[in-house]
Amino acid sequence: MLVISSAPAANAASGLMALLREVVPIAPDTSVEEAAEKMLEPQHAGLLCLPVVLGKRVVGVVSRQHFNSIFLQRFGRDLWGRRPVSDLMNRQPLLVDIEQPLEAAAQFVSTRMGSPISEDFVLMRDGQYLGMGRVLDILAAMQSRIALGASKLEDAYRQLKVSQSALVQNEKMASLGQMVAGVAHEINTPLGYVRNNVEMLQDMFGQLREVLTQYCLLGSMMADENFDEAAVSQLLQQATAASLDLQQGGLLEDARTLFEDSLFGVDTIKELAINLRDFSRVDSAKLADVNVNDCLDQTLSITNNVFKGRVEIIKRYEDVPLVNASPSQFNQVLLNILTNAVQAIEHDKGKLLLKTEFDEQWVHVSIVDNGKGITQENLKKIFDPFFTTKPVGQGTGLGLSISYQIMRAHGGNIQVASVPGRGTRFRISLPRAASHRASSLEAAA
Amino acid sequence: MNSPETRPAILLIDDEERILRSLEILFRGRYRLHITTDPQTALTTIAREPVHVVVSDQRMPLMSGADLLREVRRLSPNTMRILLTGYSELDAIVASVNEGEIFRYVNKPWMAAELRSTVEQASGIAMQMFAASQQAVDSRIPEPAAANNSAILVIDDDVTVFSAVKEIVGYAQTVYYAQSLEQAFMLLEREPIGVIISELMVARESLTTALKMLKSQHPEVVTIVMTPFRDTAVLVGLINQGQVYRILPKPLRAGPLGMNIASALRQHRLLSASPVLRQRHAVEQISAPEEVSVANRMMSFLGRLRGRTNVWPPLPEIRQS
Repeated sequence: MLVISSAPAANAASGLMALLREVVPIAPDTSVEEAAEKMLEPQHAGLLCLPVVLGKRVVGVVSRQHFNSIFLQRFGRDLWGRRPVSDLMNRQPLLVDIEQPLEAAAQFVSTRMGSPISEDFVLMRDGQYLGMGRVLDILAAMQSRIALGASKLEDAYRQLKVSQSALVQNEKMASLGQMVAGVAHEINTPLGYVRNNVEMLQDMFGQLREVLTQYCLLGSMMADENFDEAAVSQLLQQATAASLDLQQGGLLEDARTLFEDSLFGVDTIKELAINLRDFSRVDSAKLADVNVNDCLDQTLSITNNVFKGRVEIIKRYEDVPLVNASPSQFNQVLLNILTNAVQAIEHDKGKLLLKTEFDEQWVHVSIVDNGKGITQENLKKIFDPFFTTKPVGQGTGLGLSISYQIMRAHGGNIQVASVPGRGTRFRISLPRAASHRASSLEAAA
Repeated sequence: MNSPETRPAILLIDDEERILRSLEILFRGRYRLHITTDPQTALTTIAREPVHVVVSDQRMPLMSGADLLREVRRLSPNTMRILLTGYSELDAIVASVNEGEIFRYVNKPWMAAELRSTVEQASGIAMQMFAASQQAVDSRIPEPAAANNSAILVIDDDVTVFSAVKEIVGYAQTVYYAQSLEQAFMLLEREPIGVIISELMVARESLTTALKMLKSQHPEVVTIVMTPFRDTAVLVGLINQGQVYRILPKPLRAGPLGMNIASALRQHRLLSASPVLRQRHAVEQISAPEEVSVANRMMSFLGRLRGRTNVWPPLPEIRQS
């Protein structure tokens, strides 16, 4: 049975207390006839039985059914009428302590009551007779309590859903924060040398202009028919010295390098911007036919700073068919697993194998690291919300749980295998996009 | 110009070779340059020969810049340390101050002229440091006798910080307590304060500018900032313009705080005894307009204060940039 709540004792007592009916019990030596009369009294109309009590001790109950069975018999009244009810009564009535929780009492009563229901239950306190309770009442009380419980459950469920979406949002923000940090670093590094190079080129340009001005002046002086030879030769000397300076300082050679590096840096930033856009695809949160190889590459490029130098990346991509997926969500899954993989590598010979393959129905992505691995015990829990082995404040424990949900929502799944000390393999599978599945089946047929 | 042998040596380290190439061209001709992408090579060089300035990237695959500069400090305390970083992470900032005792924290992208002058300043100071320590070795000048009368000033809204500090230092040092900027400055003018332990906010007023001003006025005073505050830009400002000695988190922990107070007092004694060393704590000029106005206000307050006591020489004007 579903136990809605283990209510505190005080509540439970008041629960059963509400069901208490004060019924004057009959003594065991009361005659059957007399007892039957009592049963017919209007205040007992709703009761199925009467308690038989000696002193304060409950010795049994006698029910309408008992009386019926007697009075429906031929000569029943004559045979039984004068005998004491103790000869007729049920000596093992349903005894319920008033302090018991309603649920426990209800469970007890419902498992022990006969069919058809012929007896109510006796309420006791400290082993002494207190009154009667009706089976119908306790069932009704339970029903209303379950209904209440259900509405509370529904409330709790609704609240849970609200807080869950808040948590998912938090996790998104946390990974966004990490990503922003990474991207800022990725942008600022090329920006650093590009800016420095441009500043230096500006200086060089100044020097070049000076030399050029001198040569131009020289040219116009020489073009003059009666030019001043002394002045020209002086200027020529100056200009030659200045241009020699430029060449000897390696400025022109430097300039070439500086320009090349700067262009490279600007392209790096451009690439990053494109990948960022592709990565999030804010403009198309909907499903699209995507190539998982591209998704892997995009995710790699924006997490480059985490991997760079630390981990050797081995790609074994097959020419996989497209899958139908939300690119931003799928990239989120990849980002999550890749980041975990790199974080699991605590030595400097880190390797990360990225493999894609496919069969008739599925496209699989395997991400294999040679990190510290996951213990069997933890492996069972890694998709549980809030399960994390990271220090407090560094992981919400939601990353993989969200990834799992995303993959399920895509009709795919995530599998994981791990050997502690050796490494971990995540395998993500997505169904092939419908059109491509069909066409390949045709091709196969 | 100076001959190649007498030029100051600087070491540049970054995992991006284009950064190194760019910096190489920027500094070439003025310095002897050591350029590497490998932290071990860097440390070997520094252990082997005098290197006056190290400019290091923070995020590197084999070793973080903060870790590298901590090792540099251990191997060659006279080498000036500059962190050049693409992204301000709180951990890196705190570690570079507390363990690396860095001279400047520079963000990428940097201004070529600024970086040039920062490195020039650092190398000038380091040249003097190296010369002075050489002299000290040559003539065996004993370390200055510990002048133990310098006091500690606690600036915090929370009086329990004051009592905790008092408990930690016992009777060894006088501890003063200020709950406002004015009180703090008054005490600083009157008492021989060597170490300040300060929050960044008191009475809802930011102390950041005041702490920077203070360092520019009294380079021998050593500042420990103890705060739950986690704004990276403010902390970077405190390094470059305030030469803060330690950044400690709150709630305070007596053990680490005690150790840091002891080393701050030691640092203060060294600074008081050595003008060359004080240069090491040279600060960048305050430039943010909102800070300049606060600084000017503070200067006039100080001026009035000093006019009364007439102990200090007139103060230079803070230039509005």
